[in-house]
Amino acid sequence: MATKLKEVDAVIVGLGWTGGILAKELTEAGLKVVALERGAMRSPANDYSLPNIRDELRYVVRHDLMQNTARDTITVRNEPKQEALPMRRLGSFLPGEVVGGSAVHWSGHTWRWTDMEFKVRSMYEERYGKAFIPDDMTIQDWGITYAELEPYYDKFEYTAAISGKAGNLRGEIQPGGNPFEAPRARDYPLPPLTPILASQMFNEAARNNGYHPFPRPSANASRAYTNPDGSKFGACQYCGYCQRFGCEANAKGSPHLTVIPIAMRNPNFELRTHSWVTKVLKDSDGKRVTGVTYTNVLNGEEFEQPAGMVLLCAYAINNVHLMLLSGIGEPYDPVAQKGVVGKNYCYQTGAGATLFFQGRRFNPFMNAGGSNDTIDDFNINWNFDRGPLGFVGGYNVAGGFNTVLPIGYRPVPRGTADWGKEWKAATAKWYQTAMNISASGSVMANRYNYYDLDPTYRNAFGQPLMRMTFDYKANEHKMGQHAAKVVNDIAKSMNPTHLNSATARTDPWTVVPYQSTHNTGGTIMGTNPRASAVNKYLQSWDCHNLFVVGANVFPHNASYNPTGPVGALAYWTADAIKNRYVKNPGPLVPA
Amino acid sequence: MRTTRLMLGLGLAIASGAARADGDAARGEKRFDECAACHSVERGVNNVGPSLSGVFTRKAGELPDFRYSPAMKRSGIAWSAETLDSFVGDPQKLVPANRMPYAGMADASARADLIAYLREATK
Repeated sequence: MATKLKEVDAVIVGLGWTGGILAKELTEAGLKVVALERGAMRSPANDYSLPNIRDELRYVVRHDLMQNTARDTITVRNEPKQEALPMRRLGSFLPGEVVGGSAVHWSGHTWRWTDMEFKVRSMYEERYGKAFIPDDMTIQDWGITYAELEPYYDKFEYTAAISGKAGNLRGEIQPGGNPFEAPRARDYPLPPLTPILASQMFNEAARNNGYHPFPRPSANASRAYTNPDGSKFGACQYCGYCQRFGCEANAKGSPHLTVIPIAMRNPNFELRTHSWVTKVLKDSDGKRVTGVTYTNVLNGEEFEQPAGMVLLCAYAINNVHLMLLSGIGEPYDPVAQKGVVGKNYCYQTGAGATLFFQGRRFNPFMNAGGSNDTIDDFNINWNFDRGPLGFVGGYNVAGGFNTVLPIGYRPVPRGTADWGKEWKAATAKWYQTAMNISASGSVMANRYNYYDLDPTYRNAFGQPLMRMTFDYKANEHKMGQHAAKVVNDIAKSMNPTHLNSATARTDPWTVVPYQSTHNTGGTIMGTNPRASAVNKYLQSWDCHNLFVVGANVFPHNASYNPTGPVGALAYWTADAIKNRYVKNPGPLVPA
Repeated sequence: MRTTRLMLGLGLAIASGAARADGDAARGEKRFDECAACHSVERGVNNVGPSLSGVFTRKAGELPDFRYSPAMKRSGIAWSAETLDSFVGDPQKLVPANRMPYAGMADASARADLIAYLREATK
């Protein structure tokens, strides 16, 4: 029997970037807020410090900062006719499980998604006609515009210490920046990171091929920085242990360095760690939520936390899971194409090449999470004509390094033995001489890529696991072929000693190896409750005092990393709650 | 062996002209931005790095409530303008294998400013 606790104004489920931002903003507005985080408290001083943090076994192999799949995982399959099986070990993506969430172990890549995503269906239909979009491609406009989000992107970039170079300041194209980006009101708070040899070589080759390279914007502080809230950052030391690690130099923009400590100093805020939320509770008529139930995972004790508002801020997959477990919104049915919760699960795709240059020394162990140069010529460049190619979406191409670890990173020419003397000799010979060029591509929503509850497998709390049905479709295959060719053409123009060329992906998606922690959709945002689970303020259409925050609201996935719009939308939602919802609780958009 | 290494470090610091005494504390406060992500000058406030309060009267690795690297604890350094100048200039050179993730402040006049600031702020 759950112990019923005292009601608070808002309960936040999961304390990463979105939970942290909302915790800070809402407690400053005077609301009493409790955050429930399933993971432990970790601090830079005690946990993310030298020499302990540089431990590939602990953080990379054993996933120390990530979700424990023995407690809860998902089941996966490629198509609805298959039987889904549980993912018993993390692989393809790595949800965080700690105060700070996945934003402790992210790389920091921070992009501004543009109207090419937010108006995806209307822009493609207008240019190419309705028939260009396949029947099973369930893309839709998001109901929000770049212009609305611009100030919130800005706020997130200044909070998270983004290093970069503006490409478009109020409509003026800036040399050295991304010429395709949407106009921004001001530059990044910090100049770009110091380039590394691999990113410089890629930059030169891309320019020689007629493309427009620029340094990737990233939450790796290029110099010491104090953000507008007074949070202090050290300068990135290019230590090479970025993705999957907490930052040892306080240089990576993360909520546990910024918004969370500010919330924790506020008497309106309380954090409870090791608290696993099992359900969101609804009132009798189902129009409002009344709180959540959770279990203290250290001792199994169960609690009910009543709250005036529930803010789901867990990892994208887990937010959707909680909606399904709580029976909020109609579950998506791919056959009848009815319902919304679970709809439009998307991922990302890619193609990569490894280039070997005998005699060059790339020092791959020295880099920041964002140490690469990128081109967007095939991504947010609307002049890139998809018409003859027949695909929707795009991909960016990057050259450089991100956390290629001293033990785990072993580049050798294709065809080398996988083990033994020959492999050892090859890895010693080639380690210093290799660099990578890779394309990261969007995935458009498809009718048959979705989430629902698994009929067979259950988690440690006896609840059905989330079932993920996903595979790449013809759209992604066509784009992959184009991307592989562009990558290989740039690579060949650099005249490497040896090239492991990029190949377009044709195999079905699998849970190994690591691909990207960019799972999107499931509770998508939109303009009406028939086609979306939440409105443009991430407010549930069904229960107006429930907000579902994170990449789970994206109606499709872009080529870009998701954290820019995730952070911006969290600030946008915080403003909507503070300035409108609290004064006049009810739907912020009429259904 | 350890003593030799330490003496070499100090020897280099002295050979390069030692710490300059003409630092500007106001400019040094700006320089401290680079340190402030990890270090506080307030007494008892340990962050990623130990509190620097009273550092001029301390030996390296001395605070009981901070977990120092073995290298720092056994370095035997007494902090002074000279040793701080040498350490901040190239932390791994003076105390190899210490765990401060900072590459060093190359500019001697910037270090002089920083040390002038620390002398005031850590009292």
